[in-house]
Amino acid sequence: MHPTNWRARLTDPVSLFAVAALAVLVLIWATTFSQVSRERVAAVESAKSLAADVAETYEAQVVRALREIDHTLKLVRYNLATESPVRVLANLRHMELLPPELLFTVSILGADGKVLATTHPLNEERQPRAAFVRLVRRNSDITVSVPSLDSVANEWRLFFGRPYHDGSDQFAGVISLSVHSGYFVSGYEQGVLGAESVLALLGIDGVFRARRTGNDVSAGEHVSYESVVPDVAPTRADAVIARNPWDDISRFTVARKLFEFPLAIVVGLSESEQLEPMRQRVSTYMGRAAIASALLTAVFGVLGWVSWQLQKTRENAVHERIVHAKRVEYLAFHDNLTGLPNRALLSRSLAEDIRVSRREGSRLAVMFLDIDRFKNINDSLGHDAGDAVLRAFGERLRTVIGRDKTVARFGGDEFVVLLPRIAGRQDILRALDKLLGELNKPFELAGHEFRVTVSIGITMFPDDGEDEHTLIRNADITMFYAKEQGKNNFQFYSDDLSSDSLEKLSLESSLRNALDRDELRLYYQAKYELSSGRVVGVEALLRWCHPDLGVITPMQFIPLAEETGLIVPIGRWVLNTACLQNVAWQWAGISPLSMAVNLSARQFLDRTLLADVKHALDSSGMSPNQLELEITESMVMQDVERAVRILDSLKSMGVKIAVDDFGTGYSSLSTLKRFPVDTFKIDRSFIRDLTSSAADRSLVEAIIALGKSLRLTVVAEGVETATQAELLRRLGCDQIQGYHTNEPVPEDEFAAILGGQSLAWSRN
Amino acid sequence: MGFLSKTAICGALFLTLSNVAASDVVVVVADDSPLESLSRARLADIYLGRVHRMPNGTPVVPLDQQEVSAAHAKFYEKYLGKTPAQVKGHWSKLIFTGRGQPPRAVPDAETMAAIVADNPNAIGYVDSASVDRGLRVLPIE
Repeated sequence: MHPTNWRARLTDPVSLFAVAALAVLVLIWATTFSQVSRERVAAVESAKSLAADVAETYEAQVVRALREIDHTLKLVRYNLATESPVRVLANLRHMELLPPELLFTVSILGADGKVLATTHPLNEERQPRAAFVRLVRRNSDITVSVPSLDSVANEWRLFFGRPYHDGSDQFAGVISLSVHSGYFVSGYEQGVLGAESVLALLGIDGVFRARRTGNDVSAGEHVSYESVVPDVAPTRADAVIARNPWDDISRFTVARKLFEFPLAIVVGLSESEQLEPMRQRVSTYMGRAAIASALLTAVFGVLGWVSWQLQKTRENAVHERIVHAKRVEYLAFHDNLTGLPNRALLSRSLAEDIRVSRREGSRLAVMFLDIDRFKNINDSLGHDAGDAVLRAFGERLRTVIGRDKTVARFGGDEFVVLLPRIAGRQDILRALDKLLGELNKPFELAGHEFRVTVSIGITMFPDDGEDEHTLIRNADITMFYAKEQGKNNFQFYSDDLSSDSLEKLSLESSLRNALDRDELRLYYQAKYELSSGRVVGVEALLRWCHPDLGVITPMQFIPLAEETGLIVPIGRWVLNTACLQNVAWQWAGISPLSMAVNLSARQFLDRTLLADVKHALDSSGMSPNQLELEITESMVMQDVERAVRILDSLKSMGVKIAVDDFGTGYSSLSTLKRFPVDTFKIDRSFIRDLTSSAADRSLVEAIIALGKSLRLTVVAEGVETATQAELLRRLGCDQIQGYHTNEPVPEDEFAAILGGQSLAWSRN
Repeated sequence: MGFLSKTAICGALFLTLSNVAASDVVVVVADDSPLESLSRARLADIYLGRVHRMPNGTPVVPLDQQEVSAAHAKFYEKYLGKTPAQVKGHWSKLIFTGRGQPPRAVPDAETMAAIVADNPNAIGYVDSASVDRGLRVLPIE
């Protein structure tokens, strides 16, 4: 397992609770067992100590009792030297020197064993047997009999005896003292010793003289003396735990041989009785520990469970947040129709790929794909079908290219594929081969099979651009070039592609959107009447305010607009805008001006021209005779009949017609006569050198003369100096237009120019 | 020797007579004893060696009959509620542990009567039939 996982495991609350619970449990049980162990040791020590105490007391009592008995024997023996046995006992009893008769029987027997005198003449059982007399006779010391059963009193009886001698030191008989065995164990205190302890007097012959356990007194059993009494008697007896052989009970046992007597005392405290209080305490401790453990386990269990739940909830919340964040990020960087990376992510990926390529010194290809005639699919089958095609196309693209490479939807029906780490065109061609093979397979849509083709433009890093913007733009341009080459093909970007055509391609792609994006503007240039010096008309000039390229003149984009047919909608917009503007100025209090609008060749021939003009006039409310449409000679010369028809129609609406750039065409005067025109506009090329070139001056004079003869208004274009203006005035030109009067300006600036003039007028 | 057998014969005779008479045992004191009556408990205390003086300080000397006598067993059963064996066990313990001596046992009822009559501090027991002059039966409550 990973080390951080371990650490995480150990610090998570559940584990902490478990560890803490375990620690406390260990503590509880360690304390308990330690306490139990101490209790046990203490209890054993205490029992041993008690056994030793009891043994010492018992030993002292037994020894005293035996000495008293021996003393009595010796006392009787002493008195027998001077008195008869009967007198001896009578005197001693009288003097109260005999032990209490309730327990003790003193007898004097002759050498033959006959009782000569006794304290208990009526108790035969209290007299010794003949064997005892023989035993005593052989023993100069005190003799202790084995226990004999007193069948009358039903108790065991012991006899102590000493021999006595006559004056000639001959054995004369035996003095006997008898007592019941129970006497020697009558010190058994139930309160101290319990019911299972033992007090006993054991002969060195291994015969118990008396033994008491509880209330049971017995005597006479044989045991192995050596196994009970240790050889050496220490000064203070130490109790040992021994299983006593006579009743198989385990006791704290002390056994000691008595000094001077052939006897030993045995004291045994029942182990089970002595340790019982300790056992009870131990079980109490165990019980408490068990209850504490159970409670602890329960409490920690609940805490652990709760914290586990909390943790799980928290983890879920975090997980959900992460999932949500990922989803948001995904949505931000992916196209939601195809699920492919979007333009933003493409830009990022490409930048990254460029970094890698730069580091590795490898090449990178950018393929810009556009589905051919996708608009037709949308228009004929509907947008849903179009979306389905895009999805299927994207999916197929991704499958072919592989998921490790970037396939992005650039927008609309445009896709971009990045091929990193390539050596050169061979790699691209191989990829294209596979790609086109796959893409040419039919798509199934609403039960129909149909095929799409694509136009592809390809650029390479670092050959065709150093940054992602350039690479994509050039790929886009190349794709347009491929389209122009008849669609369904691919083109590599190269310097062979002329910058003009690139510019054109580039312009076309953005010109399509110029109207929608409101990038077209009309600039206005005034026409001055030379006789009065007043502004009598204005020409609307189209400008394209491109966001990147700045202001673009019509010369640069009108041919393109013509070519693509975009000129028709653009022209319509110009007409409408110019008319509306002119009316707006009149509303603002400016005296009516003629508004000149240029028509392009294609616009002129377009079937909708008349309708467009009528619409512009109607919607603006401008008077038709204030509108002047400017055409060129070349436009009308292509198809003269048709041009005449169009011009007649326009004239019948009341609109004026001007021939622009007059003098550059090759119109014959006879043809020109057929056109219902109102104005000639002398081309700027004649005006430029008017003051220096006699030829140009003659030409201008001729044009003016021609205009006058046809009763047309003649306007000079491109007038830049006051000298030119003055000369034209003298030559009889009606109006001038050019930088000398004003450069083309937006409507608000132009309004300011007109405002100044109207002010000047009111002064005059 | 003669004494011994005579005593034995007298005791046996006495035992037989008292058994036949089935007479009662009474506690006796001297005529001039200051004791008027005695509780059963105090009597037991005196005879079991727990008390040696009366509450007023006068010493009290209990006397016992021979263990083999009929009066002995009767007395202990009637007044102390104990068997002779229990009495013996009691004294065994006291003697063995050195904590007391049993009442002096007189040889016979006559001796008991004589000693009690002679000693105002003495207390004894005899067969109700043999309450002699100089003795007074002490009521036991």
